[in-house]
Amino acid sequence: MGPHDSSISAAAGSTSSSSSACSTSTKPPQPPDQMDHLLAGAGYKVRSNDLHQVAERLQRLETVMVKSSPVEISELVNDAVHYNPTDLASWVDSLLTELNTNPPLSVPVPTDLSDPNAFPANINMYANHAPQVHGEFSQQVVAPFEEDVSIQLVHVLMTCAEAVQRGDLSLAGLLIDDLQALLGRVNSGCGIGKVGSFFVDALSRRIVNSPENAVHADLSAYENEILYHHYYEACPYLKFAHFTANQAILEAFDGQDCVHVIDFNLMQGLQWPALIQALALRPGGPPLLRLTGIGPPSPDGRDSLREIGLKLAELARSVNVRFAFRGVAASRLDDVKPWMLQVSPKEAIAVNSIMQLHRLLGPNSSRGPPIDLVLDWIRDLNPRILMVVEQESNHNQPEFLDRFTEALYYYSTMFDSLDVCTAQPEKALAELYIQREICNVVCCEGPVRVERHEPLVRWRDRLINAGFAPLHLGSNAFKQARMLLTLFSAEGYSVEENEGCLTLGWHSRPLIAASAWQAIPKPSTTIGPINHP
Amino acid sequence: MLQIVDINGDLERETKKLEQNFCINDHVDLLIEVLQRLDGRSLAAAACVCRQWCSIVRNDSLWEHLCFGNVSPPPSIGIRSVVLALGGYRRLYMVCVRPVASQLKRRRIDGGESEVVRRVWNRHEVELSLSLFCVEYYERLLGGGGVVGGESRATSLKFLCKAVNVSI
Repeated sequence: MGPHDSSISAAAGSTSSSSSACSTSTKPPQPPDQMDHLLAGAGYKVRSNDLHQVAERLQRLETVMVKSSPVEISELVNDAVHYNPTDLASWVDSLLTELNTNPPLSVPVPTDLSDPNAFPANINMYANHAPQVHGEFSQQVVAPFEEDVSIQLVHVLMTCAEAVQRGDLSLAGLLIDDLQALLGRVNSGCGIGKVGSFFVDALSRRIVNSPENAVHADLSAYENEILYHHYYEACPYLKFAHFTANQAILEAFDGQDCVHVIDFNLMQGLQWPALIQALALRPGGPPLLRLTGIGPPSPDGRDSLREIGLKLAELARSVNVRFAFRGVAASRLDDVKPWMLQVSPKEAIAVNSIMQLHRLLGPNSSRGPPIDLVLDWIRDLNPRILMVVEQESNHNQPEFLDRFTEALYYYSTMFDSLDVCTAQPEKALAELYIQREICNVVCCEGPVRVERHEPLVRWRDRLINAGFAPLHLGSNAFKQARMLLTLFSAEGYSVEENEGCLTLGWHSRPLIAASAWQAIPKPSTTIGPINHP
Repeated sequence: MLQIVDINGDLERETKKLEQNFCINDHVDLLIEVLQRLDGRSLAAAACVCRQWCSIVRNDSLWEHLCFGNVSPPPSIGIRSVVLALGGYRRLYMVCVRPVASQLKRRRIDGGESEVVRRVWNRHEVELSLSLFCVEYYERLLGGGGVVGGESRATSLKFLCKAVNVSI
């Protein structure tokens, strides 16, 4: 586990209150009146130069409180507030004096004083990440090491995101400067340093630009394809998606002579050669395969969809599979109308959506989220299989801070898995591809934010409500996925089966989930459009 | 006894004559039988011995045997035409079978298998290799005619092309 792994888990809520350390000695001396930004974000005013002393005194206070009798503590709880805890330094001093002299007078009471762990979690930023010594409260100041900076980085990131959510952009700006300084001290080639730098970049963009209008350098479709291709090569997520989908589609097409695959995002069609080859070799011979590829329109007059179709046709011809291709150019998936797909009633249909459905969860100007409409017309097509592969994370929560936290954890894990890839330029361009996703999740709002990932449980509910029944991905798909992973040199990947769906993850954190669905035919009140009375 | 010694002497002379006159290159069927039992690395080395051996080793059926000779159950008939269409067994071995086998070997807990030992492949491993082979063929198609050697991947070429293309 890399250093950033432990830093993330520390950020998730460690309340190590035993052994002490203070990492502030590594901070450069600040001007005398400079307030610490991190604590300012939490509502406390402490001078940066006083941080060491305040931390020490808080620990002393904790020791004293633990040793105090319950009677004294209950007196503290029952008394009114007299001192302002915002001024943390004088508050802790006065509290220490009170406890030491056991006064009957009232003392300040922040919320849950009876709970020794209730001190602001930010104080733990200065806690050493060494193993805890139970029951012993040592006062030694241990020399800080690299992990402290990582933990600090994460905490400052959180505070900055919180400030952004509150709208306190000036504080957020100051925290960005702090973050840049911290990034200078941490190894930005891997781990938290690298992910952190992307998130700092995204946050600073969000502060500068208005999120609704955020448009970062738009790549041409061609450049996007290149990034996608390198992402395909560098890590197994897309390959897992393609191979699992192909296996499920192959099984769904068993015994069918006319099959039609609708791909929601053709890109360069990397998924289809393997399916064409598998169909060529299936016992009983290959069927007639039709492929409809949906993709963005190409700007410069090239018909990129058609070019891909030609290449696929060439491959199909080499292996003697009857093949027909059709391209549908649409900039948004909800612009596609079912008649454009020209499905024929005799053929078996498979709908393939690799990381496309989440784009439909955003608001549309005229109606609600287009996902329901699209799922509706998919159901009308009556496909034998709807293949859905999505990122396994919740980046569509209404609160910015929740999204930010979730994204930080998710993309840290993903970058961790990418670290083991050594092939360049695949790795660098794959990172660029992921960075664009991060930017979209963090910087954008409204219709521009398209990366609205949702976890498998929510997709399950959504699809079941839309009239689909789950199909179990068989053991063949599972075995194939596991074998595929052994080809990747890293040992950290894991494939898991989850109620008939497969997830691929890194060290037991699932990152991508594949599921298969079958349309339940609608109860028909009308026989058909033509026969409508 | 003298007679027997004579026969032995004759036999020795006859054996020596045979040894001097026997050349494996005259018996290609025997040569192929031997070569069929080699692993990939040795087979490639054998191709460097002489022109005749080179042309024999280039024969795809040897590599077919190397790839799928040990598959249980035996591969279906259609596989050959597909593999030949996608580039042949030698290429299949080079691009897919050898990397897949070495990776799978590395994963085995009961290590100690040398590369010479032929593994028995199962159906899934065969299918996966073929799929990867097909993807590789397709990537070469995407790369267009300008692929340098057989090894350089379409991805890296595209990247280079992009750098040169200064379209506004």
